[in-house]
Amino acid sequence: MQHTEEHLEHTETPHDMKSQIWKTFWILFALTIVDIALYFMLLSNHSILKNWVFIILGVVKAYYIVGVFMHMKFERKVLMYTIILPMLFVVFLVALMIIEGNFTNMLRWVK
Amino acid sequence: MATNTLSTEKKFTWGGGKSPFSVSYGKLMMWIFLLSDAFTFSSLLIAYGFIRHSYQSPIPNEIVKPLSDVGHNFVEHMQQAGLFVQENWPSPELVFNHFPFIHGIHLPLFFVSLMTFILIFSSVTMVLAVEAGHRMAKDEVAKYMLLTIIGGAAFLGCQAWEWNTFIGEGARLYSNPFGPRSFAALFFIVTGFHGFHVFSGVVLNVIIYLNVLAGTYEKRGHYEMVEKVGLYWHFVDLVWVFVFTFYYLL
Repeated sequence: MQHTEEHLEHTETPHDMKSQIWKTFWILFALTIVDIALYFMLLSNHSILKNWVFIILGVVKAYYIVGVFMHMKFERKVLMYTIILPMLFVVFLVALMIIEGNFTNMLRWVK
Repeated sequence: MATNTLSTEKKFTWGGGKSPFSVSYGKLMMWIFLLSDAFTFSSLLIAYGFIRHSYQSPIPNEIVKPLSDVGHNFVEHMQQAGLFVQENWPSPELVFNHFPFIHGIHLPLFFVSLMTFILIFSSVTMVLAVEAGHRMAKDEVAKYMLLTIIGGAAFLGCQAWEWNTFIGEGARLYSNPFGPRSFAALFFIVTGFHGFHVFSGVVLNVIIYLNVLAGTYEKRGHYEMVEKVGLYWHFVDLVWVFVFTFYYLL
């Protein structure tokens, strides 16, 4: 089979890409502003919940960067899973190591 | 088939006449590289999470309020106040509180927010360059690539200033006045590794920019190289989102 036409064989890019880019920019901008505002509002608050809010905001930002800027939303699903699934295991490892770190902290106080 | 890489790229098909995943070979390999690079960064952030949690959490700061005046010997003052001790991880708020040309005022998060905005903005100009490349608009691609390079260079400059201030306060790889010695070591390694990625990205962007100006991609018939470098550049931005969150916000 000969495919000689100079044709980008990738999935569709939406026609309104430019407006999507700017929309994503404003979303990222707003999320960062929310981050900063929360940081200063909750300076004297030291709950675990605050950490989770920041982590979730980070993941939402990551979704927009990978989805729109890196074009992942418009690629084939199989490519998406190839990249995203291994990272989910890494997140699992992060959680495990933080729990392990807390135990190491406790061991420092056992004499 | 003894064809060279250029003709393979031209057709956008692999040896079998099809493109698996519906992307070109180079783009898929960039994704795979980014996945492996994400593992490397994850290992650094996992080490950070483990070591940080193996110390007591930061002592709440009730003394210094944002925008308040702080004297010259801020670090010594905090040590005497018992906020920088060996058992507790230091609060990032009290360590990264400087801003260029403003001395003696407690400004936590201000400078690093500026760096974040610079990097987000350079990410936008990069994706606009990619979009212009789809339309084969050479001048626009060149314009946005140049803006991206400026953004990257500005970020690197900010980071150099941040390191300089941090080292000026006595932070070293093996010791620091803020608390556990792994605090400064991890800061240097995580932000240094990220900064090295930004630096490589700027170098790649300059190469692509020169190629755009020389009309290389115009002749090739597509601007896919801009897309591939763009993927790398967005990845650098993505890593910064997490460094910002884990190092400065928490």
